[in-house]
Amino acid sequence: MTPRLETIRECLDGVIPGLIATSDREGMPNLAYLSQVQFIDNEHVALTYQFFNTTRQNVLGGSPVRLLLSSHLTGAQYRLTLQYLRTETAGPIFEQMKAKLAGIASHFGMTGVFRLLGSDIYRVLAIEPIPGPTLAPPPPVNYLTALRRANRHLAGCGNLAALLETALASLADEFGIAHVMLLMHDEGRGRLYTLASRGYAQSGVGSEIPVGAGVIGICARERTPIRIGFMAAEYSYGRTVRDGLAADGQADALETAIPLPGLPEARSQLAVPITAIDRLLGVLYVESVADLHFGYDDEDALVAFAAQLGLAILHHQHADDLADETPPVDEAAPTPAGPPLVVRHFAANDSVFIDDDYLIKGVAGAILWALLSDFVERRRTGFTNKGLRVDPRIRLPGVSDNLEARLVLLQRRLEERAAGVRIDKSGRGRFTLSVARPLQLVEG
Amino acid sequence: MLDQEHAAFIQTGVSVNLASCDADGLGSMIRGLACKVLDDGRVAIFVQRTPCRDLLANVERSGNVASVFSQPSTHRTLQLKGRDARITTVDPCDLAIIRRHTDEFVQEVVPLGVPEAIIRTVYTCDPLDLAAVVFTPCAVFIQTPGPRAGEAVA
Repeated sequence: MTPRLETIRECLDGVIPGLIATSDREGMPNLAYLSQVQFIDNEHVALTYQFFNTTRQNVLGGSPVRLLLSSHLTGAQYRLTLQYLRTETAGPIFEQMKAKLAGIASHFGMTGVFRLLGSDIYRVLAIEPIPGPTLAPPPPVNYLTALRRANRHLAGCGNLAALLETALASLADEFGIAHVMLLMHDEGRGRLYTLASRGYAQSGVGSEIPVGAGVIGICARERTPIRIGFMAAEYSYGRTVRDGLAADGQADALETAIPLPGLPEARSQLAVPITAIDRLLGVLYVESVADLHFGYDDEDALVAFAAQLGLAILHHQHADDLADETPPVDEAAPTPAGPPLVVRHFAANDSVFIDDDYLIKGVAGAILWALLSDFVERRRTGFTNKGLRVDPRIRLPGVSDNLEARLVLLQRRLEERAAGVRIDKSGRGRFTLSVARPLQLVEG
Repeated sequence: MLDQEHAAFIQTGVSVNLASCDADGLGSMIRGLACKVLDDGRVAIFVQRTPCRDLLANVERSGNVASVFSQPSTHRTLQLKGRDARITTVDPCDLAIIRRHTDEFVQEVVPLGVPEAIIRTVYTCDPLDLAAVVFTPCAVFIQTPGPRAGEAVA
């Protein structure tokens, strides 16, 4: 029976390198190793074009193409007959392959040698199993069940903060993924900011990555999953963020005071875009210290999960704009006692420091400063999303302002700082400010 | 055609792969079990017959073959071409060569993360199903990834 390509995808990642056979016009065969084969769909794959070699010469000369692929899980071997269609030098498939190749090159000591010039797209004409002994595959993971359960958890969430917590917990509980970050897209600034994470010593909430930098940034730019099975130095986020800064000359604009979370020795990385209604909302990123930890099935499952998550995020962003009918309870807060908390605000970038420790900047910084100013001036503790939207002190960047996400960001930073200032949701589209110590607000 | 150093290289724990093609140029290939350089300079590649019947038929038809030898730990890779390939039986004493070669290859690839059981499954040897494809190398190319890839050395 001819197997479907999607059922033998473990053969494509190059753990056991595949082989490609072509021939010249004189009927002389040529054989070469493949570094990877990219699955596109059941009828199409892409191969890397790295050098102009005999294989490429033969392919462009019209040679039929045969692959020999082997499973590192069972030892099963397959022969594929392909037809060359075209070469792509940019776009999602190219970027997926480029990232993967960087990992493979690093793993095999070929960094600087393996360089992707293009993605050669082929139609798969035939797949034949090669007779021979095989081993039993490892017990399968039922991704559909995990996905069903994870999506059910999402459906029960009442607000954005709960949704984010539940999403990360579901990835751990249902998919066994221990290290995960969720980053939101700041469209106006071309940045991604960490809004939630799990499995790290420091949450890194508030840390930023430029769109286009590293696995996460490229995933965002191309809106396509990026998966690397081996450590690739040039795709590590620490380095790419530094490089990205140098390249775009905007080091001052990027949040660098808050370090990115992440495993310093991540060997497997998978970043999946979170989109909804044709908008990039963010990126879901998972990683592992093991080689080849995430396969095509993990990628499929996370893409499906991210689709559901994206719609849920969009829903909660909008739902929180519609405040509950009941007016906010705006009782004058009691005057807190104790030594004063010095909160300093720099208007140039809306950065806020609490007792000389950096807390946050940008829109979230402006929001906090407005809340604290109102508290000091009027003892005000009840606020609404609607009110913030029209507050001239905050200057939200247009329609897709991610206000609710920025409030979650602020809430988390305050929680982590534990300085006696916190905000809590008090209903749909409204929240309260609590201040445990007297405040001394300092401008500049 | 094949100097001593290259001859020694292809007889250590490298991967041994063989391809031929049919009249339309459609290739067929197999992962070989081992190889041996004969006294007259010809190269014998040991393969299982069943998984590569069409490859063997193509060898009988044209005699054209391409073979690739690669050392996984260094990526050093060599391609040999032949125009006079033919199929012979395997001498029982060649079984020791196959066994030794497989052991050496396992030592090469296990550190790269491929389980030994998988390697030994892919390179299973049924002595009753063995054939040797013997040819005179008519061209030798470096195929190690890098600036010299594709360079003819003989």
